[in-house]
Amino acid sequence: MIPAPTIPLVYYQILAAILFTIGVVGVLVRRSALIIFMSIELMLNAVNLSFVAFSRQHDSMDGHIFVFFVMAVAAAEVAVGLAILVAIFRNRDTANVDDVRLLRG
Amino acid sequence: MDTAFLIESAIKVHIVLGFVLLGVPLIVWMERKVLGHMQDRIGPERVGPFGLLQTIADGIKLFMKEDLVPAQADKAVFILAPAITVVTALIATTVIPWGDTVTLFGRTIPLHIADVNVALLFVLATTSMGVFGVVLGGWASNSKYPLLGGLRSSAQMISYELAQGISLVSVVLLAGTLSLTQIARQQAHMWYVVPQFFGFAIYVISAIAETNRAPFDLPEAETELVAGFHTEYSSMKWAFYFLGEYANMMVVSGVAITVFLGGWNGPVLPPVVWFLIKLTAFLFFFIWLRATFPRLRYDQLMAFGWKVLLPASILNLVLTAIVVVL
Amino acid sequence: MLIPALLFAMFAGIAIGCSLGVIFHRNPVHCALMLVGVLLSVSGLFILLNASFLAALQVLVYAGAIMVLFLFVLMLLNLKGESPLLTRGAAKGFGILFAIVVFVELLWTVLSPQLEGGMATPPTVPTGFGSPAAIGRVLYTVWLYPFEITSILLLIAVIGAVVLAKRKFG
Repeated sequence: MIPAPTIPLVYYQILAAILFTIGVVGVLVRRSALIIFMSIELMLNAVNLSFVAFSRQHDSMDGHIFVFFVMAVAAAEVAVGLAILVAIFRNRDTANVDDVRLLRG
Repeated sequence: MDTAFLIESAIKVHIVLGFVLLGVPLIVWMERKVLGHMQDRIGPERVGPFGLLQTIADGIKLFMKEDLVPAQADKAVFILAPAITVVTALIATTVIPWGDTVTLFGRTIPLHIADVNVALLFVLATTSMGVFGVVLGGWASNSKYPLLGGLRSSAQMISYELAQGISLVSVVLLAGTLSLTQIARQQAHMWYVVPQFFGFAIYVISAIAETNRAPFDLPEAETELVAGFHTEYSSMKWAFYFLGEYANMMVVSGVAITVFLGGWNGPVLPPVVWFLIKLTAFLFFFIWLRATFPRLRYDQLMAFGWKVLLPASILNLVLTAIVVVL
Repeated sequence: MLIPALLFAMFAGIAIGCSLGVIFHRNPVHCALMLVGVLLSVSGLFILLNASFLAALQVLVYAGAIMVLFLFVLMLLNLKGESPLLTRGAAKGFGILFAIVVFVELLWTVLSPQLEGGMATPPTVPTGFGSPAAIGRVLYTVWLYPFEITSILLLIAVIGAVVLAKRKFG
């Protein structure tokens, strides 16, 4: 029931760019591993939004399929990533990425 | 979007909201009376005729109670959690069709608030958002028993969501559409419970587990974790949790009726009356189960969900797919 | 034109506000809740873009399952918040600078005249656009191979998560 005329493509792309940048800031600046994961999810969502907007623009379902796969891969990545985080936390009792630096040169 | 459509939708929203909010006290009354009679006692009978006003009296009492927020609790999340439970349950009622069309003032008005072409997914999505209300309520209370109860309860809910979804997908294979209105319309001749009997059984069992009702109500049983995730909640916030739970029961029954039991279809009476009869029968079934079965232990519950129901629902899906293709 | 513009502004505002909340809040549970807000508003934007199946999938998978997993891990590990965001550290300054560079570059690409039909109203799409039938028609024919590989990927992820998070006995 959304009426026919819609928002031009550029606004969606600018919004996706803003969300992506905020995600980048989150990954680079925050020190807690969980918040870094959340910022990665934010970046993936920005990319999903961009894909769907382009797909609407060119009347092609391929963008939707890509978003489908991105969601599946994001789910897999979160599962394995959080499992790694839990394993690290059990050994070192910290989730701060600055404290996990034994392999550093 | 013309104004007539907006007025129509506003009236329908009010009708459904009023029905759910007034229906919950009625369900509570029905539960107390039915449980009482099944346990060889009478249940409430003093307040109002047949004890009908008992729930209203309880509501007034709860309203007057002191509203406690524990000292170290996270205040914002503490207040947000019951709201999430209620809001997601109420949003899910918007796509359930409660009757066929009605002709008023020359317009044919369909009796559902919205006909979304992914209505079944919409209901599944909003009920999966309901898990947040439970897990956040348990965590925000900043206390051992609610946290454990909340984690257990939400783990149970997300485990049984899978079997629920897959049993619904088997019907989608037969119906060819995800829209609840279309599925109800297609059952004019034969209800989907006939070809999908096992799917129906699986859906009902997982629906009972989803709404944390007996025999799957260990996380909120009094003898276990004090009162589970809503231990620290008092007065209206607790009432909200229970409003959410009973509204969720109505949503889940509504979906079961629409997908398996023919929606509003029935021989003589008008469609809305048939829907109400089926809804009442389903809710009576919920209450009957509570009176009859002992509680399942938590590990039995989780083992049943993952090792029995999920493979059964996948098997049901595969068999349905084979039958549809051949 | 008014109602879609209002809806877009509302969803965009909520998305940006909640994403700023994700990176600025100290308490990780608040950050997770802000991220749920972002996911829900992106789902709303999907509906504005006629992607109804993806919108439902976004709430069901992302907000309903992945974020619940995040919250479970948060609560089981009982992580406290960390020190405030904008304190010392040249690393943080470089991070923000790099992010600004990325943003300028993205804006440059998006606002360039080579983006065809950027400022115009999007073309009309057929009625079944974004419906499950349309996705199924493409997913199981053209994209069948990636679909099967994704299912194996998810199986690997399940096994990996169970193995990694298991407590070793003895």
